[in-house]
Amino acid sequence: MTQTVQDLVTVTIDERQVQVPKGTGIVETAASAGIEIPVFCYEPRLGAPVGACRMCLVEVEGMPKLQAGCTLTAQDGMIVKTARSSALAAEGQNSTLEFILVNHPLDCPVCDKGGECPLQDLTFRYGPGNTRMTFPKRTFEKPIPISPLIALDRERCILCYRCTRFSESVAEDGQLVAINRGAQSVIATFEDEPYKGHFSGNVTELCPVGALTSTQYRFEARPWEIQNVPTVCGLCPVGCNTAATTREGKVKRILSRNHPEVDEGWLCDKGRFAFDHLHARDRITTPLRKAGPRRFEELSWDDAIDTAEKLLRDGGSSTVTALSGNESVEEAYALAKVMRQGLSADSAVLPEEVPDALDSYRAPLSALREARTIAVYCDEPVVERAPVVELWLKAARRKGATITYGAPDGPVDALVTDQPGLTFGADNVYYLPRTPNGRGVTDAWSAAGDGEPVDGKPRVVVISGDEAATDPAVRAMAADAEIVIGIGMFQESFRGIADLVLPGTSYLERDGTTINLEGRLQRQRRAVLAPVPDVLAWLSKLGERFGVELSPHSSVVFDEISGKCFGGISYADIGERAELPAPAERPSSAERTSDPGETVAAARSAQGLRLVAYRPLFSGPAVDRTPELQFQRPSGDVQISREDAKKRGIRHGQNVTVTSNGTTVELRAHIARDLAAGTVRVAASDAGDLHASVEVTS
Amino acid sequence: MATEVKKIVLAGTDDHDLTKLAEYEAVGGYKALPKARAMTPQEVTEELITSELRGRGGAFFPTGRKWSFVPSKEQIPKPHYLVVNADESEPGSFKDNEIMSRVPHRFIEGCLITAHSIDSKHVFVDIRGEYSGPYEILVNALEELKDRPEIRGDVTIVVHRGAGAYICGEETALLESLEGKRGQPRSKPPFPAISGLYASPTVVNNVETITTVPPIIEMGGAEYAKLGVPNTRGTRVVSLSGNVVNGGNYEIAPGMTVRAIIDELGGGIPDGRELKAVVPGGSSTVILTKDEIDVGYDFDSLGQLKTAMGSAGIVVLDDRCCIVQLGIRFSEFYEHESCGKCTPCREGTRWLTAILRKLEDGRATQADLDLLLDVCDRINGKCLCPLGDSDAIIIASYVAKFRDEFIAHIEEGGCPFGGESSLDHVLAPIAMHTHSPVAEVPA
Repeated sequence: MTQTVQDLVTVTIDERQVQVPKGTGIVETAASAGIEIPVFCYEPRLGAPVGACRMCLVEVEGMPKLQAGCTLTAQDGMIVKTARSSALAAEGQNSTLEFILVNHPLDCPVCDKGGECPLQDLTFRYGPGNTRMTFPKRTFEKPIPISPLIALDRERCILCYRCTRFSESVAEDGQLVAINRGAQSVIATFEDEPYKGHFSGNVTELCPVGALTSTQYRFEARPWEIQNVPTVCGLCPVGCNTAATTREGKVKRILSRNHPEVDEGWLCDKGRFAFDHLHARDRITTPLRKAGPRRFEELSWDDAIDTAEKLLRDGGSSTVTALSGNESVEEAYALAKVMRQGLSADSAVLPEEVPDALDSYRAPLSALREARTIAVYCDEPVVERAPVVELWLKAARRKGATITYGAPDGPVDALVTDQPGLTFGADNVYYLPRTPNGRGVTDAWSAAGDGEPVDGKPRVVVISGDEAATDPAVRAMAADAEIVIGIGMFQESFRGIADLVLPGTSYLERDGTTINLEGRLQRQRRAVLAPVPDVLAWLSKLGERFGVELSPHSSVVFDEISGKCFGGISYADIGERAELPAPAERPSSAERTSDPGETVAAARSAQGLRLVAYRPLFSGPAVDRTPELQFQRPSGDVQISREDAKKRGIRHGQNVTVTSNGTTVELRAHIARDLAAGTVRVAASDAGDLHASVEVTS
Repeated sequence: MATEVKKIVLAGTDDHDLTKLAEYEAVGGYKALPKARAMTPQEVTEELITSELRGRGGAFFPTGRKWSFVPSKEQIPKPHYLVVNADESEPGSFKDNEIMSRVPHRFIEGCLITAHSIDSKHVFVDIRGEYSGPYEILVNALEELKDRPEIRGDVTIVVHRGAGAYICGEETALLESLEGKRGQPRSKPPFPAISGLYASPTVVNNVETITTVPPIIEMGGAEYAKLGVPNTRGTRVVSLSGNVVNGGNYEIAPGMTVRAIIDELGGGIPDGRELKAVVPGGSSTVILTKDEIDVGYDFDSLGQLKTAMGSAGIVVLDDRCCIVQLGIRFSEFYEHESCGKCTPCREGTRWLTAILRKLEDGRATQADLDLLLDVCDRINGKCLCPLGDSDAIIIASYVAKFRDEFIAHIEEGGCPFGGESSLDHVLAPIAMHTHSPVAEVPA
């Protein structure tokens, strides 16, 4: 990373000299001199600058006209004057703002963006104080819901094209476009279809005015009465850094907090919009006891802890704990400590096995973009399992990387896989866990004890989390057990299966740590108070009954685990944008190479097409309870590789029949390029009773 | 008479139907091509530099120098493209229409020589969508070359019909449009010579420029550079229209005065009217008053009057023309054709039109006139491409040169010309398309 002297050029900005690498944008160059050049359309994350808004006009010595700072790059000896020192540039910026405001409705008092609006801020600083426009303003119908999640106000739009550029060059969905020409240009969705996609919500954050707003946040709060709590999303293993906007103790929206190594400021729509589940109608707010096949009754906390103690003592060491992978490290550790140290109940159903060897292939997600060759070896679509990883893959492809799907032929720079333990000799391996904190939960469980599980059928099963409670395998095990104790947020998850349910909390309501798919330890902060006591609080009480000492404070619990699992890092040192620990030492070469498991290989050689019934991103307890997200659910597609489709004469979008062993499902063919031949994918909710081997016919 | 000029671009068209391959070859057509192919690409470019030919699309950039900017394939290992700008849409200009219609083979020969010079195998001719006549003629001419591999060589010529946007005559917007994208200018640099069509080295030239290439190769660059006047060599095809007896295209010797063009070639003003003003090079050029037309029609002479040959569309206006109406007509055009990408053009052209309409309606005050000039000032020099600047520059020139007429509109509370203005016979009204900007999106 060392810059040689030759690479650096000297630029004078407002009489301040700075040295920057040749080719650096003038906006950045000025910033490095401590000078702000205001912008609207400029956003480096959207690709090459376009120079559309003309807010960044600067005067450059030797150039007759004002120049757009965003498209101009630093050359040696360049002398730039911004609006601070050039009357011409100041007049240029003032002109741009006047033109922008000529047709802008100036409805700041009723605009959701008001108070945190770049247009408002820059107008105050650089714009005209009054309007000289005396003609009727251009009007449009408004607001237009471009999807149930996003409202479009075309009158406020300043046509910076950030949203369309996001759609075209980041999400690559091509759904947002500009139509018409000149002053009549407007943003629209392609063919007026709703903007459906995994990342649509990002445009509400990119929009520098109140043109694209979240329907959930519409008229909900004003910027001076909110607090933004820095936290980390707990809905998938990427662990995007977020800020939860709260007002009067309620989460109102989720914004990105841009961790450049993890998410680069992008969020998926689940992470952004699914917070509504906090207010679900079936939210469990008190301990519940089974009072009939489909009925619960409330009981007091004292009774609940007494009952839990009694049931657990009955179950003893054969008790099995099923974890969901959504717990914080501290919650999982506290529960594990009660079970393992208090009851010697060492049997657990862990969300997944994550090999320690992965630590030696550790790399930040941002390194994916730098890779030249990438193999994606995933049964499930990457975007459904770890959505933002898909954006990194797209960024890599745009940068010229070769991405192959299925087992790579030769060595690759990076591997993205949903099979733990595979490396294919790649330099960096990104294993995509099934659950948001599967790695942390697994670590926490093993850190809490070292006893061996006892054999035998469990009498008592403890189910932690709604995700575990809705998992068919866990439910089957629960059905066989005499007693089931649940910990979770929603009644529906536990109805009919649990004898006792203790209230759980969401990732937005707790303090704690999680480990994302990179192996990065990150802190979640309590954005709002849960309507129920903290899980750690009652677990510490329950622990007391079994002689297990447990702090109700996550920081103390963390300190206890940190020494065992995280090299003794202190809670405070994790920081708001957590660093990724250096990779562990590589195991010997014998362990390094590994092949797909036999089962996978066997399945691939089987007759017909191998069916993967994937869990869509837009599914699960949180999404189920967010009405605005329902339109995002996959709707009857079967993903098939180009090769397999060609063989069967199937066209994209065509209706096809998927059959296996007498079961038939009608679906629509979706030719997917991220799919190796021999495999088809169907959302689990569409898969019905299909078996693992299917045939697709038109 | 000063009108006598040896035709170069349209040579031979007086007594031959040069749309036919045989006739074109009979007058020596396709002879420059083998000559050029016998030269190295660098030698061809050198010849063009020697000829001092400058781009006929309006920017007047030296053609040979433009070609010389194309990097070698060793430097940038990508295909090279030649894109011909045949999207002639400037109000007042119709010369490329006639060139393609009358000397399609000379144009094609020019394409092939230029392709050789920049080491390109792909030529894209982006022709204005409304030019169905020239399109047919061009396609027929290419059809005739199907059996002539020795002429075609390994070069593919694609004729692409534009979708009707003035802005796609701007070279980078044209490239965007060719790529299938929304026709909006790119910010430069990078220039097309480095990163043009499909991010590959590309030369974009105007039809007349390309058609001038074969004669230059034939006669030699030095010979061509003897014609015309300094900085404007060779000939120029001008489109003469408006209040003039004999409108049409004329190939002239640069330096001929505007008065001579109007009187000697155009036969003067009809109906015994007086000359009022002349738009010298298409709508985007600063207007000339009747006292300024003894200027030579060349780059330097017009430059001294702060105007230009542009795309050589000379519009003659007689004393019935209302300059405010002329401003509305042109400003409407720019408003309608603004691509919507950059703010000053998108919003400013619309605002200018509104102020001009207020003036024409007699509702304006002196403050509005000041505002008009200030808005021009605020657009000019701040846009991404020349479209918005053009509107600002010409409107400001109308006020500067015909201020009394603007004042009269204010003081008389309306247009002094009333319904008498002759503009409808001069310039087609801008069809204000009805946009339906409101789309209903099912939720």
